[in-house]
Parts: sequence; C-alpha cells; structure tokens
Amino acid sequence: MASITIAGLRKSYRNTEILKSLDLSIKDGEFISFLGPSGCGKSTLLFCIAGLEEINDGSIRFDNREITELGPRERNIALVFQDYALYPHMTVRGNIAFPLQQQKVDQQTINKQVAWAAETLGLESLLDRLPSDLSGGQRQRVAVGRAIVRNPSVLLMDEPLSNLDASLRVRMRTEIRRLQRELKMTVIFVTHDQEEAMVLSDRIAVMKDGIVQQFAAPMTVYTDPANHFVAGFIGSPQMNFLPAGLSGYNNDLVLGVRPHDINPAKAAGDGVHFTGELAFVESAGPVHFLDVMVGGHLVKATCSDPSGLEPGSQITLKAPGHALRFFKSGSGARVHMSSQH
Amino acid sequence: MTITINPAIVSARVAKRHKNGRTPVFAYLSIAPIIAIMISIVGLPLLYSLFLSLNTTNPITKRWVFVGLGNYTKVFQSADFWAALGRTVYFSAVSVSGAIILGTVIALVLNEKFAGRGVLRSVVLVPWAMAPVSIGVLWSFVYAGNFGLLNGLLHDLGLGFFATAWLGDGFRALNLIALTQIWNQAPLTSLMLLSGLQSMPANLHRAAILDGAGPIRRFFSITLPWLKPSLFFITIVATINSLMTFDILWIMTRGGPGAATTVLSWLGYLQSFQFLRFGEGAATLYVLTALSLLLAIIYFVILSPNRRHRTVDQSTFSQTEETLRPVVRRHDMVRLPAWKPRQRIHPANARRYGRMLFGMTASIIFLWSALPVIALILISLSPAGDLIRTPPSLIPSRLTFDNYVSVLMADSGSTSVQAKRVPVSLLNSLSIGIVVSLVNVALGTLAGYGFSRYGQQRFFSGTLWALLITRMIPALTLVLPFFILFRSLGLIDTHVGLIIAYSSILLPLSSWMMKTTFDNVPISLDRAAIVDGCTRFSMLRKVLIPVVRPGIIAALIFCFLVSWNEFLFAMILTSTPKTQTIPVVIAGFLNQARFYEYGPLFAASVLAILPPVAIAFFFQRYLVQGALSGAVKG
Repeated sequence: MASITIAGLRKSYRNTEILKSLDLSIKDGEFISFLGPSGCGKSTLLFCIAGLEEINDGSIRFDNREITELGPRERNIALVFQDYALYPHMTVRGNIAFPLQQQKVDQQTINKQVAWAAETLGLESLLDRLPSDLSGGQRQRVAVGRAIVRNPSVLLMDEPLSNLDASLRVRMRTEIRRLQRELKMTVIFVTHDQEEAMVLSDRIAVMKDGIVQQFAAPMTVYTDPANHFVAGFIGSPQMNFLPAGLSGYNNDLVLGVRPHDINPAKAAGDGVHFTGELAFVESAGPVHFLDVMVGGHLVKATCSDPSGLEPGSQITLKAPGHALRFFKSGSGARVHMSSQH
Repeated sequence: MTITINPAIVSARVAKRHKNGRTPVFAYLSIAPIIAIMISIVGLPLLYSLFLSLNTTNPITKRWVFVGLGNYTKVFQSADFWAALGRTVYFSAVSVSGAIILGTVIALVLNEKFAGRGVLRSVVLVPWAMAPVSIGVLWSFVYAGNFGLLNGLLHDLGLGFFATAWLGDGFRALNLIALTQIWNQAPLTSLMLLSGLQSMPANLHRAAILDGAGPIRRFFSITLPWLKPSLFFITIVATINSLMTFDILWIMTRGGPGAATTVLSWLGYLQSFQFLRFGEGAATLYVLTALSLLLAIIYFVILSPNRRHRTVDQSTFSQTEETLRPVVRRHDMVRLPAWKPRQRIHPANARRYGRMLFGMTASIIFLWSALPVIALILISLSPAGDLIRTPPSLIPSRLTFDNYVSVLMADSGSTSVQAKRVPVSLLNSLSIGIVVSLVNVALGTLAGYGFSRYGQQRFFSGTLWALLITRMIPALTLVLPFFILFRSLGLIDTHVGLIIAYSSILLPLSSWMMKTTFDNVPISLDRAAIVDGCTRFSMLRKVLIPVVRPGIIAALIFCFLVSWNEFLFAMILTSTPKTQTIPVVIAGFLNQARFYEYGPLFAASVLAILPPVAIAFFFQRYLVQGALSGAVKG
C-alpha cells in the first residue's frame, strides 16, 4: 500500500478544463472519498490516478515515486468500475485469476490467491459461474475480488455501489470498509452519494467544477464547511440559506443554518429568531420537518413534536448562535464571525 | 338511473376474449398481405422449380418428361458438378476469410475516435453500396490484359515487365474474383463487427489494461471473445453471399477461362439459360439452395439455444444469498512481490508508434476503398483514345465530358445503339426503384408492426422465420421459375414483372427491418393510444408511424438501393430496352460483338454508382441501420 501525492494536476479535453491545478495528499492506508455532483471531475481525477487518462500538467507520486509518466500497467493499481467490467466469457475464477496470469505468477500461487480472495468475499460456491449467471451484488464482489487479488498499492473504486439496490448498498459498504481495515489498503472511492462518503471515509474531498472545495474528515466537512457549496452539498435536507440581513447581520452575507439546528422557539434566549407562516408539516418518523415562510424565504426547520402546529398559523423559530454559518454572498467563501450581534 | 350489470354477460365476454387469445384480428390482418404475396411469389415458384428439377424438358418440342430424381442423379454423377462444387468451396473459403479479416481491421480502425472518421466510414461503405455490375466492370478493367489499370499502374511505375493478362490464368482468375468479392463484402462484415465493438463496454478494456494485458493480448482475450457470436453470424451470412455470387462472375469471367471460375451458381445458370436444360439447372440450383439452408440451420441450431441461455432472468436470484456469512479463514493472502512489467518501449514512444501504425492502417483502408472508385471516375472522364494506349497509363491525357455527352445526349451520328439506351434505362431503374420501395415498405411497415408486437406467438414467430429463410434462397433458384411462369403469363419484359420479382427479395427485408424498428418503440405507446381512444389502425397511423419515421426512411433507402443495383432478375426477365435497367444496359456493352465501347461504358457505370455513393455519404446513418437490421444484402 502506498501514499499518494498529487501536485498541480491539470486536465483538459480540447478547450474545456476538467481539473484545474489540483493538489491532494493521501496517506498510506487511508480511505478517501471523492464526492461531488456529476461533471465535477471526480471520475476523471480517478482515471488520471489510474493512468487511463493522460494529464496535461502536474505530477502524481506514489510513496514519493514519480509515476506520472508510467502507463497504467506499471502503476500497480486496481480499479473497481461502476459497471464492474467483468470479462463476460470468463468464469468468476477466470476473472479473478486474470491479473495474476498477466503478471506471469506461477499457477500454484494463483490458485492460493484466488482461493483467498474468494473466501474473503464469500465467492467460493460461485467460482465456476459466468458473470451473466450472477446477481448484481455477486458481480460487485467478483469485481472487488479481481481488484484485491494482486495486492495493488492503491485500490480505486468508481461509484462501485451505484448499480445496487438500496439495502444491498448499505450492506456492501460495510463490507468494503471491513475489507479496507483488514487489508490496510489505501482506497480512493468516487461517489455522488454523500451518505456513502460520510460513512466510509477517513477524509472526503468535496469537488466541484474541477476544484477540490474541501478536503477534510467527514464531520469537519459537515460542521465546518469551507464554503457555500460544501455547506449546501453535504447534509440532507439541505442547509437553509437566507440573506443575513433578515436577522440583523451584514447584508452582503448569506446566513446558513441546518434544518436540524432550527426548531420552534419555546422561550427567548441566545441565538436568532425567525417568525413566519407555517406552510407545511412533513412527518418523517422520528423527526418532523416544518416548512416556514419567513419574509418570502422558505425555511426548513425540525421539531420532535408537531402537535398543536397548524399550517397557516404564525410560528417563531430559533437557531442557536453556534449553529450559524456565514458566507460571502458573491464568492460563497466562508466568513468566520463571533456569535453575537 | 341505476346501472345493472348482468354477471353472466360479463363473464361470457371475458370468456370470449380468452378464447380468442390476446391477439386482435388487426394483428393477423397486418401480416396477411405479406403472407399471401410471399406464398404466391416465392412459395409457388419454389414448388414449381422443385417440380422442374424432377422433369426433363425438350426446348424444341416443349415436351415434359417426369424423371423423378433423375436430374439429381445426373448432376451428382457429372464431373463438372464436383469440379464446380470444389471451386465453390475454395472461392467461399478465400472470400469469406478475407472479408472477415479485412472487415475486422476496418472495424477496429473505425471504432477509434479520430478526425475524418465520418468520411472514412462513408468511403469504406462505397464498395458495398455499389452495384455488383459496376464492381465487375471496374475490376475487369483493372485486371484487363492490354490496357488494364493494373498494367497501366505497373507501366507508370516502370514495372511494365510485370504486366500480364491478369484474368488469363485460370487459378489466378478464381483468386482475383475472390479478391473482388472481398472488396465488395468486407464493408458489410466491418459494419456488423463495428456494431459489436460499439456495444462492448469501454471499461472492459480499461480493466484489462489495469490487469496488465497489452494491446495484442487484449485483442485475443477480450475483443475476440466478445465478437464471437457476431463473427459466427457474419461467417454464415458471408458464406451464403459468396455461394450466391453471380453478377461479378457474369461481368468479369463468365466462368472462364475454360471452366476455371465456374462455381455452382454459374453452372446452374449455364445449364438453365444457356443450354436450356431447365430440369438439370433446377437440380443444380436446388443443391445450392440446400447448401445455403444447411448453413442457416447450423446457425440457428447452434446459436439460438445459447442465446436463450444467455439471458438469465435476474429475478430468479433469491434475496437470501446476498447475506454475508462470517468469514472462516482457511486461506491466507499471498503477498506478491511488486510487479515490474518489462518496459521495452517508453510509454510516450509507444503511443507515438501506435498512432503512426494507426494512421498508416487508416490510410491503406482509405486507398483500398476509394482508389478503384476514383480510377473509375477518372477513366470515365478520359478521352476514348486514352483507354487503348500502348503502353497503358493511369494518367489521362486530358479530362473531357465527351463520354457523358454521348450517353446522355444521344445524337444520331456518333452515339452507338447501346449508349442510346442509357437514359431510358436510368429512368427505368429510377421508376422501378421508387415503386418497389414504396410498395414494399408500406406492406413491410404493416407486417413489421404485427411481427414486433405479437412475435412471441407461435404463428407469428414461425412466419417470421419462414420469411428469413427465404433470404437464404439464392436468387438464381427463383429466377428460373419466374422466367418460365412469367413467359406464360406475359409478364416477361414488363415493369410489373420486375416489380413482382424484386418484391420477392424486398418484402422479407422490409418487414424484418420494420420489425426491428418497432421493437425499439415501447409498447406503452400503443397502450396509451388505445386508452386515449384510438382504433388499432389509427394508433398505427397517428402515433406509431410518426415515431418510426427514421426507420421507414432507412427501409425506403435500402430497398431502393437493392432494387437499383439488382442485375440477375433484370437481365433474365427483360428483353428490350424499354424495360431494361441500368445494370442490364451496362452489361449489354460487354455483349457487343466487335469491341468494348469503353468510354460510354464507364460513363454509364459512374452514373449507376451515383445514387449508392450519394447514399453512402449523405444517408449513411440510414444505410448502416438498413445493413444491420437486414444484414442480408447479396
């Protein structure tokens, strides 16, 4: 396993810049997620690390070894594709053994290693089947097996769970995390699913328009977002963004506050208050979401007990000072300020 | 107001519906015309030719004698037959393997993204879209003894001592005909392989690269296995096409020199139409038909069960198997030493060499496809004297439109009788092509709907396979009964006769194409239209036909092209210039006793390839669609 250092990486197709001078430093054995909306360049970055895409500028190093000029075969990395890319005419055994055969490993070692990978992933009874005879989850595990069988220095995963159904996805992500801990692999995991990224990763690189917006631990990204985009992208339902002037702050700031931090006010006290008309109550089991119109803006709030709240009535909401985040309204950059007026 | 529902009536209606099955009468009506027509213009003639093959006739006394299997015995006992069969096998083997290898190379090149790919794709299609008659004219002039293009090229290059009469030697002639067949067939195989390549997930190759496989290894381990089903299908189609080769033989060698290029199709033609031994000819042609059908059956038997096996229903997987059991450790991971692949060439250099090799291959493909056609156009613009120069040369002394003027604006003095026939024949080809494609696509659309929506029912699927099987029958087998039947019905030398004959090829083709088109339209569209109050017919007319319009255009273009290029039916079933189509008139130039009128001949050939070339360049999408869903053009 290896650490990865990316410096000044640029990538463009024709005249569109996909990745704009990107720097990242990933430690040995870390589980990293590239998270962002589609088209943000996360998959391109992954393919650049794999060597499947040539880069225009910058350098990529594994353990301080320069690999920018190396072809994908020489980088000793493995990639699990979104569509798994299993070789359709080979059995599960053939698929898993293929990379070892290419490395001219002796047959005995291949057998041992395939047996280990199959056992690790629970594929032993499926070894002689063709990929077309497997279910989605089984194919996914074969793809992981093919990737780990040759001890790659880095394991790359390109949205590997997005083709699975919801309950299987949750189980497989636990499985991937267990495997990564067990094998102490360096993993880069590309996803557009923030929950997946939050649960799995040691650190998340949130990307947009070819730029890493923030690279930090999941909870840091959640509680301490670097800018307007990260604050809005992470967390569900989305953070409320209001003109800060509405609560008496500077008018060219945007005030951000998560729905979970904004509740019906029981008593006056520290924090900001909003008063508006309750438009709608959505009950989602343990928590109830309140849609409140405050001065022409929709504010999403939460409460644990919606009894007595009638749509159409006036309601006062409160958010504690420590839950408030401020952003410049133009650039979206985070502004730190003291919690008082 | 009260509404009472009599349960007895309701259940009676339900029962009636069930008895009728879920197939509405409309579905049967949609395929009824095509079934009726196919039975009368393919089924009956085939039975008639089967009957012919069991009789002998005397062309002078017109006496028919029933001989049972006598004709077949005679055929199987003749040395000519076995020699022709041997040549057929050799010819097919060479032309099919050549077309597949070349087609694979072309498909691999066209599968890459590069500037000029669209143009190259059009250029590559031209040899296949051209009429076989024009191909024959072109290549026989390439190989011609004294003044041929190949000899001209050799003289231009200072290699004149290599010049020879290329088609003079028997075995060489057979190989050169096979090469011509490859030139014509490779585009079709490459199209089919290309669609196979494009359906291959891009990640498959990426995965193999990461797994350490080089380009050659990837071709054999990934690409070739992926293409295996297509390759098998293509082999069958290409073999049947080479069994049916006739037009280029007629133009280039007529079975000669000696009998060196007399393959089975030519033998059957000779027996039927030169020696007028209908019985024996029919028997030979039935043997040829049996060979094609055998190949088709091999294909369906071997591949169909596989295909069914391949689409495993995903819903059969139980949910429980996904539960992850606790891992019991019996095997340990082997720590492999970090892999250092041999690096013979620096990656940047490897890329550069790869690009150079690719550029070279693409250029060769371009020249191979385009050069002969360009040469044809060039010689049609050369003064007549250039074509009989000694020594020959490729470079025209000057460019002139004389040849075109003489075929298109006939004057009584300088234009020969044959050249005067060109304008009428162009009009004949055009009008027959338009009528034939309109009629066939109209009927094919109707039938295609029925086959697409009710194809899973036995009656419909059986009919569909029967239609497809008729495509495996060599046209030669049909033309003999057509000739005899049309003679007695007075349809010889009429436009109607040709239209009927062409429909025998085009009806199965157009309904198959339209079925594939309708297959891509979701059935919920039909249901929505019915729910919104359409009758079946108005649903087809108002909702579905606008949706499948591109498919209809593709079918029209394809049918027109097949009809425009057709030679065999047109030659046998017409006799005077008033009905002859352009391929027949081109071939007629070669029948003139004294000398070949090269200039007008080439001008007419260029005029004949204009529509196919235009289609290849401007309606390429439709042409490709037609080729892939039809995949059966000769």
